Formats: sequence, structure tokens, C-alpha cells
Amino acid sequence: MATRQLLPVATDAQTWSLARRLLRPHRWYAVATGVVLLAGTGAGLLAAPVLGEIVDRVIGGRTATDPASAFAGPALLLAVVAVAHGAGTAAGTAMVARLGEYALAGLRELFLRRALGLPLARIEAAGAGDLTARASRDVSAVADAIRYALPTLIRSALTIVLTLVALAVLDWRFLLAALLATPIQFHTVRWYTRTAGPVYAEGRIATGAQQQQLLDTYAGAPTVRSFSLEAGHLDLVRNRSAEATTVALRGIGLLSRFFNRLNIAEFVALSGVLALACLLIPSNSATAGTATAAALYLHNLFNPVNAALGLADFVQVARAALRRLAGIAVLAEEQQAASTSEPADAAVTVKGVSFGYREGHTVLHDVSLRIEPGERVALVGTSGAGKTTLAALICGVHPPASGLVELGGTDVSTMDASTLRRHVVLISQEVHVFAGPLHEDLRLARPDATAEDLTAALDRAGAGAWARALPDGLDTVVGDGGHRLTAAQSQQVALARLILADPPVVILDEATADAGSAGARELEQAAAEALRGRTALVVAHRLSQAATADRVVLLEAGRIAEEGRHEDLVASGGRYARLWETWSRQRG
Amino acid sequence: MPVAQGVLAEVFGGQRRRVIAGAVLAAAHQAGEAAVPVLIGWTIDRAVRGPALTGLAQGLALLAVVFLVLSLSFRFGLQSSEKAAFLAAHDLRLRMTRRVLGRYGSPARRTGELVSVAADDTQRAADLNIVIPRAFSSLVALAAGAVALLRISVLLGVVILVATPVLLGLVHLLGKPLERRSHHQQEQAARASGVAVDLITGVRVLKGIGAEEHAAERFADTSRASRDAAVRAARAQAWLEGAMLTATGLLLAVIAVVGGRLAATGQISIGDLVAAVGLAQFLVWPLSSLAWAGGQVAAARASAARVQAVVFSSGTSDEVATPAAAGPGTGHLVLTGVEHGTLRGVSLTVPAGQITAIVAPDPADASALLDCLASEAVPDGGTITLGGTSLATLDPGAVRVHVRVSAHEADLFTGTIASNIRAAAASEDAVRTAISAAQADSVAAALPEGFDTEITERGMSLSGGQRQRIALARALATEAPVLVLHEPVTAVDSLTEAAIASALPAARAGRATVLVTTSPALLETAAQVVYLRDGQVAGLGSHEHLLGADDGYRAAVLA
Repeated sequence: MATRQLLPVATDAQTWSLARRLLRPHRWYAVATGVVLLAGTGAGLLAAPVLGEIVDRVIGGRTATDPASAFAGPALLLAVVAVAHGAGTAAGTAMVARLGEYALAGLRELFLRRALGLPLARIEAAGAGDLTARASRDVSAVADAIRYALPTLIRSALTIVLTLVALAVLDWRFLLAALLATPIQFHTVRWYTRTAGPVYAEGRIATGAQQQQLLDTYAGAPTVRSFSLEAGHLDLVRNRSAEATTVALRGIGLLSRFFNRLNIAEFVALSGVLALACLLIPSNSATAGTATAAALYLHNLFNPVNAALGLADFVQVARAALRRLAGIAVLAEEQQAASTSEPADAAVTVKGVSFGYREGHTVLHDVSLRIEPGERVALVGTSGAGKTTLAALICGVHPPASGLVELGGTDVSTMDASTLRRHVVLISQEVHVFAGPLHEDLRLARPDATAEDLTAALDRAGAGAWARALPDGLDTVVGDGGHRLTAAQSQQVALARLILADPPVVILDEATADAGSAGARELEQAAAEALRGRTALVVAHRLSQAATADRVVLLEAGRIAEEGRHEDLVASGGRYARLWETWSRQRG
Repeated sequence: MPVAQGVLAEVFGGQRRRVIAGAVLAAAHQAGEAAVPVLIGWTIDRAVRGPALTGLAQGLALLAVVFLVLSLSFRFGLQSSEKAAFLAAHDLRLRMTRRVLGRYGSPARRTGELVSVAADDTQRAADLNIVIPRAFSSLVALAAGAVALLRISVLLGVVILVATPVLLGLVHLLGKPLERRSHHQQEQAARASGVAVDLITGVRVLKGIGAEEHAAERFADTSRASRDAAVRAARAQAWLEGAMLTATGLLLAVIAVVGGRLAATGQISIGDLVAAVGLAQFLVWPLSSLAWAGGQVAAARASAARVQAVVFSSGTSDEVATPAAAGPGTGHLVLTGVEHGTLRGVSLTVPAGQITAIVAPDPADASALLDCLASEAVPDGGTITLGGTSLATLDPGAVRVHVRVSAHEADLFTGTIASNIRAAAASEDAVRTAISAAQADSVAAALPEGFDTEITERGMSLSGGQRQRIALARALATEAPVLVLHEPVTAVDSLTEAAIASALPAARAGRATVLVTTSPALLETAAQVVYLRDGQVAGLGSHEHLLGADDGYRAAVLA
């Protein structure tokens, strides 16, 4: 196939503006969250000076007379600090999680809304896999970041900043000693992001390849077995999994060296503080309590610093995923359509339309066609003649390269999506039954339909009998993971949706082709019932559909080769007559 | 309680050495971390006693040694346990794949679920190998801290020894509801993701009926349920952490006050006091690490249960079939009184070297029959023999070499069109014959890269008719002694259908072919047609004969 036109990725600026928009409704909550976290973290930092004070009281000998009361104050303070620290951190972390989850839900809902709103041509050019990967993998990468990285990052950052402030307040000389670690940490993070970045990127590719292979092999398991391809597929899975494992372990190797280097930074800073203590305490320019508090501060800083720096890659992954999600939201926003002109009637007019998917490869050449309101036209031709393309053009899926498609006198390309769909519905080759209760699937076509409406639509689509026989009736869970419907039943569901949507114009693209003859005839009857009273263009794969249509249009290599009533075309002995002859000879 | 022991035992057992090495090294790391506050106290103590350059030098030298030990043991411990986890996950993944491809058919689950179990649950279950070293090293750290405090003062040591079990009990108590909530949260998240993917997969249908907006609203409901579950789980997690912080903070207060009094009365030195306080702070880490480990074990167990449900699902095997030449030999394929699914005593003979067609208007009859022929299922009653040998007595792999079934929704695999057709081909000649009989050359001609066109997304980049012709070519190229084709031409136009029908007898000359179809063009090529109705053989004879003799048959095949 032609090279894929991947869907866009947002810039950092666009992503930021989206994040701000998602958080805007919660901004006061965000402020409150900040205050609570600040209070909790700040409270925790009061412990070290209180401990220092205990040391100083011991050294100062103020305790010798009444040890019990000497420590009552600090003891009470430490208890209060413990409660405030715990409660503040818990409340703050829960609030961060709530903020994050609300923003995440907003993001994935917006993403899906926009993704479903993308022009079909755009989705097809990119391949549906791009969108599903974003909906599953990227959403879960962002969710993981929000759940596991965000609270740690925020708390660590707060702890680091407040500890440095506390050190400065305590004694600026100890702050300087502690800052000895900073250049090493800075250099380490730079080294790590530079070296690990490509390894993690490679890892994501390897994991994606493994996922793809698992899907390939598992979905095709019966075929693998029936062609005795088990050994080959086992090898493929083994290799993909081994590659993903090797790359992941390379990442772990880097990560462990990263923490080793951070250990060096810790050692340097701690040595600095201790050296300072040995210089300042004997000369009485600092108390042992101050030195103790400083050393405790520093020791307590190790974990938050490592946690925050260790999340650098996590953040990178989440950022990339976020940009891919934001890319869809931003793209779709730009493409909100045109005017809302209403068609005057249910006529379809195609005027001199040409179209090609690729440069220099024209699929339709100057096609003109008019379908009168209520008329049923069958479109026939061999595979690749352009039938499906013409159907897609009439539904506004692709804009014609030249020429015009009109619905009731209104140019299709100027109609917005919802107006267009109220007037023309496309039942495509692809049948998909949505996972969930059957009634939910049907109500996609008309959300306010009553149970009676649904049953009536199923009856008209010829599905009444089997639908009533389902284990839980209309509540039966169908689709992926649920009760499996046969191909013919799925197509009847599609027809029932059409009946519920009740549009004046219908394009039926080979919907009954793939069911085997027996089911096909039943489906044809159901389709005829569903099309009654509507303008219809039926892409006819089975010529019996053509024989019962008001008019037949034969498409050949992107041009209308013949056009007329079935009987007339058969009588004329042309190309259609030959097709009909082949078709009916086999059928006695 | 989900059953997960089997899988978890394998996860650990398969990587025992690495896990133990990881645990020992992680313990060394923790012991080093515990020594740091002791050294801080020792050095400050020297400073308090007066000018302390020698003390400082000694303290820093010791600190350097401690850091070297803790640093290196961390590094190699982490590598060892991570490697144990990744390799265990890899092994589980392969085991699952063998089970999915197993000789008696795949576990009855949808593909998406199987893929997610193989990709993610295997890893989460295998993470047990990371959790074990971490939990062990946390216990060692607690023990090291307690010993260090005992050495400073028996009283302080006793405080820690009493407090630790209390804190661990608290973690356990608070962790239980958390486990439940996080399980619920994971389910909800998986559901939201599944609904999103399902809607995107059906986007053409949604757009056809203009239901994008309704679909988005429906997704919003699922998304919000997932969000609320996540918020509840996060809140429980946050309060658990908060409770731990408070509890360890109170412990610190007790240690500080008790230590202060001991120092004030001269029972311990200033350095001991500083070390004791530092140790009390240090102990927060192993305690919270144990809490973390508890949660991880719960997650690993839940994932292991999912893996186990697949790996030990009944009626399947994790031995894949081997295509053995020692098969049933050639001859007639005979079904005698086969009972399976909707089939009620089906008896029929597929003569060697001929085309036999089976018309089964009820899809349930067709799929029950095909399952038996494909050795995906053993008939509930009756026998199927090939050349006189019962298929039930043979390895399914040996059977499949002789009886190949090409399903209606035949899956294509990643690779080129050519590699798909060649997948199980008997010879290059067979490939050429098959391509021309299946009209697959015109598929290639219509694509820019011809036979080298890459197949993506399991063939979804091709049209239904193109996929069918490639799948048919692949089936014909096997030159199997018995080839079963299920509705192979439903998506091709009638001229192509006629061309395939006329080329088929020559392509299959001398070999038995079973066509499960209602296509008149194909039925005309059959020497004999079997008509199944209500799970029983209702008619037998040529297509012409049955058309005249049976109205039901006529209605079934002629639209």
C-alpha cells in the first residue's frame, strides 16, 4: 500500500494549552491542592530542627535537673508534626490524584470524540492502528504517569525546594555544602537522558512489535494450526519477546548506573556537611544540634531526589504519549465543517465527478448520475471498477477531485457532518457489532428509541426471531467478548440500525454480499424492506439485487459503461447482459 | 481467592538463582544504607568532643567504603532481579503462546484479552521476582536497624522491635481494602480502554449512520466510571501512605525523646543519639517498601491468576502439534454418525481425488462440521476416518498435514502477499498453480508492489475479495491430500468466481477437496453434493439432481 500518512502529533505548546484547558474548571481545587501539599511537606520538615534542639538540650545540660519536662515540648511538637505531615501528605496526594484523574478522563473523552469526528479518508490514510494505539497505549501511558509519577514528582519537588529553604534558614554554610552534589546530579541527569532516551525509544518499538506479533498469531491461531505453522509462529513470538526483553534489560543497566552516579553525589554532599560539622562545632561557630539537623535534612533528601530524577524517563514517555493524544484533539478542532444548508429533497446528483486516491492514479473519470427521490439504483461492475469509491463520494467521505455531488440540490461538501448523516446513511462492507448490550448498539442509531422501536426495527430487518431467542433478549452482550453473532446476523443488525436512523437516502455497499447464498437471499429481502420509501444506491455484488432495482448502472474502470433498466440492458446484449448470463447460468 | 500458585511458583522457580542473588545484594545495599546514619552520628560525636580532623578522616573513609558497597550491591542486585523478572515473563509468554496454538485448539477467550494477558499480565506476574528481593532486603534493613539500635541501647532496640510488627500490622490492615479498590480500578480502566478501541474499530459503521456523537457520549459514561474508580483507589493509597508517615513520625518522636533522656543521663553518647534518630528516619523506607511489596504481590497474584486461567484452561494443551508425516495415509475421508454441536448423526464419504461439496444453510451446522474436520474439536459422538484410520487416534498435527481447512475468515499474517501464499506451500510449482487458479495474480497486479506488497493489520489494508483470493491461493498451494474450503469466494465478483470455479478441478486434480459452500458456480464443479439440514444429511447427489429434487436445497443455493 501507499506510504502511510500518520496522524499528527501536537507541539509542546499545543499540549500545554490543552492541559491548561482541561484543568481550568478545577483551578481552585488545584490551588487548594497546592496549599495542602505545601502545608503537609512543610510540617514534615519541622522534625529535623526539633531533633537538633533535642541534641542541643542534651549538650547544654539543661536537662540534667528535670529530664522528663525538658523533652516534653519537643516530644509534643514531634507528635504534632507527625500527624500534620501524614494528614497533609495524604490529603494532598489524594487531591493530586483526583485532579489528575479528572484531567485524564477529560482528555480521553475529548480524544475519542475528536477521533470519531475525523474524516474517514484521514483515518484510512493513517491506518486505523494508529488511532487504536493512541486510544489504548498512549492513554494508559499518560494514566500511569498521572497515577504513579505525578504525585511523587510533585511531592519530591516540594520536599527538595523546602528542604533547601530550611537549610538556608538553619545555616547557609550547610546549604552550600549540600549544593556540592548539584553539579554531579545535573551532569548525571544529562548523561542519562541522552543515553537512555534512544534505548527507551527502541524499547517502545520492540514492545509494539511484540504486541503486533501476539495479535497476529493469537487472532490467526486456527489458521496457524490448520496450516501447521505453529513452529514458525512460536519462533516469531519468541524472537519479538526476546528483543523486547533485551532492550528493556539494557534500559535497566543504564538505570542502575544512573543511580550509582547519584550515590556519588550523595556521598560528596554528605562528606561536605560532615566536614563542615567537624570544622564548625569545635570552634563553636555552629551547634551540634544545627549540624545534626543539617545532616538529617541531607540524608532525608536522598530519596526524593532519586525519586524525582528517576522519573525523568517516565515523564518523557508520558510527554510523547500526551502529544500524540493532543494531536488528535487539535487537528479535529480545525476541521469543524462548513455551513448547515439543508437539502431540498431526497434526490442525488453526481455531476462530472473524477477522483483518485493517489496522484496520477484516477479511480473515477467524469462520472455523472442522477437518482430521483425514492428511486433504487443498483451499481454493478467487477472488483476495482470504482463502485465503493463512488458510494463513498456520495456520502461525503472523500471530496471529489473535480465535479460536484449534490443531495437535494445542496453541495455535499458544504454540509456539516450531522446534517449530512441525517439525510444519507452508508451501510459499508464492514460489519461491526459494538461490544455491549444489543440495545446499546441499536440505540447508537437513535438514542431515544423505545424498546418497541428496537424490536420493530429488528423485525423489519428479519432479525426478530433470533433476537428474541438471545439469552437475555435485547440486553444480551454482543460483539467482542460477548455473544457471537453470525455474519448474516451482524448485517441484519446493521440494517436495523439503518431503519432506526431512518434517513431519506441510503447507500448500501455490498452489505449482503458476504453471507453465502442462503443467508444472502434472506438479507436481500430484509434490505429491500429497509430501503422501502428511500432513495437508494445499492452497490450490487449479487446481480439478483440489480434485477429488482429500478435502474442499473454498470461501472467499468471508473466510467459509466451502461445504464438503464435491467430488462433493457439484458436485451441490449452488452456488457451487463454478459455478466447477467454468467450469473444466471450457474443458478439454473 | 484466585488460583495463581502454579504460575507464581514457576516465576520464582525458573529464576531461583537470580532472585536469590538479587535478594542478597539488595540486603547488602540496605545494610549499607543503615550504616550511613550510624556513621553520621559517629562523626558528629567526634566533632562534639573537640577538634576532629582524624575523626573526620576516619569517618569519611568509612563512609566511602559504605557507599561503595551499597552502590555496587544496589546496581548488581537490581540487574539480577530485573533480569529474573523479564526472563520469567518471557517464559510465561511463550508458554501462553504454546497454549494458544495448542494442538487441541485455543482457550475460549477473545483475542484482545489473550493478547493483553500475554503482553502485560505475564510481566506483572513475573514482577514477583523483583518484589521478593525488595521485601527480603526491607526485612534485613529492619533487622539491621534494630541490631544497631540494640547496640546503642537495649531500650531503644526494644522500642523498634515492638513498633515494627505494629506498623506492619497497620500496613496489612489498611492494605486490604486498597487491594480490592485497585483491582476494581484496573478492571474499569481496561473496560474504558476496550470500549474506546471497539468504537474506533467500528468507526466506519458509526460514520455511516452518523452516530459519532452518541458513541462519544456513551464512552464518556465508561470513562467517568473508570475515573471515579481510580480516584477512590488513589485516595485509599494516599491515606495508607499518610497513616504510615504519621506512624513512623510518632516512632521517631518516641526514639528521639527516649534517646534524649538516655543521652542526658549519660547512658549513651551524643553520637549515639544522632545515630538513633537517623536510624529511626531510615526505617521509614523499609517499612513503606514492605507496604509497596504487599500491593505488588496482590497485583502479581491477580495477574498470575489470569495467566493461569489460560495456561491451565481445560480441553487445551500447551504442546503444539507437530506436522508429522506419519499420518493416516490416503484414501476416503469417512464421517460416520458424527454428533457435534448442532450435528445429529452426520454420515458422509469424501472420496479420494474428487470434489465433494457440502451445503449447510445453517451456519451452526457448517461451523460444527468444520471444527471437527480442522481437528479443533473432537466429535461428541461418531467417528471420522481417513483411509480407514480414525482421526481421534492421531496427533492433530499429523491429521492437519493431510486434512487442511481454510476458514471463511482466513487470517492473513504480517509479511508480503507472496510469503503468505508460500506459508505452507508444497512446492514452487504448487504456488504458481495456486496463484493462477485462485486468480491471485490480478490481486497483485492491482497493487503497486505486486506480490511484494506488505500486508498490514492482518490484511485489513486489502479488500475482502483480495484477501479471499490470497487465502485461497495459500490453501491450494499446500496440495493437501484433503483440502476443506469454507465459502472461499463470497467476496469476489461473479466473473472472478466463475474463473476460480473453472480452474479449481485442475488445480486439485487427483486430490480430495471439500467445498463447504452455497455458491452455484462452485457447486457445479463438485462430483457429489451433500445437503445438510437441521444437523442431518437431507440430500445427496449432483448439484443438478438436488436442484430438481429438493425445493429446500434449491432455495438455499439459488437466490
